[in-house]
Amino acid sequence: MDDSAAREEVRSLLASGLVTEVFPRADSQDDALAITARLRGADGLRQKLVIAGFTLETIVYAGIEQPCSTCMYFLVHRRYCELSELKLPVEPEWSCRLWRM
Amino acid sequence: MSFLNAEEPSACDLVTDFGINILWHPSLGMELGDNLQKLLKSCASGQTALDILVFEGSVVNAPGGTGEWNRFAGRAMKDWVRDLCKVATFVVAVGDCATWGGIPATAPNPSESQGLQFLKRKAGGFLGTQYRSKAGLPVINVPGCPAHPDWITQIVVAVATGRGGEIALDDFQRPKTFFTSFTQTGCTRNMHFAYKVSATEFGQRKGCLFYDLGCRGPMTHSPCNRILWNRQSSKTRAGMPCLGCTEPEFPFQDLAPGTVFKTQTVMGIPKDMPTGVEKSGYIKLTSAAKAASPRWAEEDLFVV
Repeated sequence: MDDSAAREEVRSLLASGLVTEVFPRADSQDDALAITARLRGADGLRQKLVIAGFTLETIVYAGIEQPCSTCMYFLVHRRYCELSELKLPVEPEWSCRLWRM
Repeated sequence: MSFLNAEEPSACDLVTDFGINILWHPSLGMELGDNLQKLLKSCASGQTALDILVFEGSVVNAPGGTGEWNRFAGRAMKDWVRDLCKVATFVVAVGDCATWGGIPATAPNPSESQGLQFLKRKAGGFLGTQYRSKAGLPVINVPGCPAHPDWITQIVVAVATGRGGEIALDDFQRPKTFFTSFTQTGCTRNMHFAYKVSATEFGQRKGCLFYDLGCRGPMTHSPCNRILWNRQSSKTRAGMPCLGCTEPEFPFQDLAPGTVFKTQTVMGIPKDMPTGVEKSGYIKLTSAAKAASPRWAEEDLFVV
């Protein structure tokens, strides 16, 4: 599946009301490690989105905007999340709880 | 061992070009057993001049301050260190163990280890803050795990050629000529640092190692990307994050699980910022840099 189609599938799942674990955010390294460990055992795209807490809109947490566009795992031109456990096409304004800069 | 790999100048150059008489070295020294004891006693008594004492390894004080856990040439190593430091014209501490105590001094420090004049960041160490060698200088610290061989030989040559007094030292008694700039200075990944493109796996040629893989290059003082290792490369050039081994806190986070090769974050922001950078500025800069990043920054543009 190419990036566009995969991105559209993600959008469709989230827009249809898929409930994801938006909170708690990965405040500490331990939190992030726990979430990525769960991601490694995820079964399919739907479960990945749930565990990572994806949203179609930017989450503001502790006064900091956390869009994919400023995340270290985001490839700007490809519009792609390069985190090994995700590796998903995304949009700049989306957000997940593994955001980091 | 690192010293033997020196190139500019080499260990041989020290002898042939600079006339240094290497009295003893673990690999090069000819004296063993009783003869080594005689040599050390001769130095300690002043019978044999000890111009430069180059010490490697932490000073072990356990058990109970006796130092008996680390015996050398018939007595506690720390006793030799104390005696030889009294008579040496210059004292050079090589490596993290001799400078700050190193990994052996990491809490809970069961070997009661110290560096010569520091214990981690705290001044004092085994010799105390007031210690001065006969030349009137404190211990010259050449940290690293290991220290780069050319840092060692260049400092030894400076001292041996009468320029020891010209070596400017920083607050941790490191030669400024080596330890003013950062490991990041000269890193081939600096353009990826600038555009906030992260390496996410070892072996990737693109991407900066600071953002995800725990590289400490932006806050570590060393010339690792100016004076290359084996005159060829460096950790970061080879895709290996800098571990910050020239700083007193090394190993950071006491090597707790999950802290090595992983950038520590608090609410998504690096816990340890590049030196001099504030959190709010970092957030603004990151947003702007990512927005401006060119396509090539995301591609593997290195060629062999």
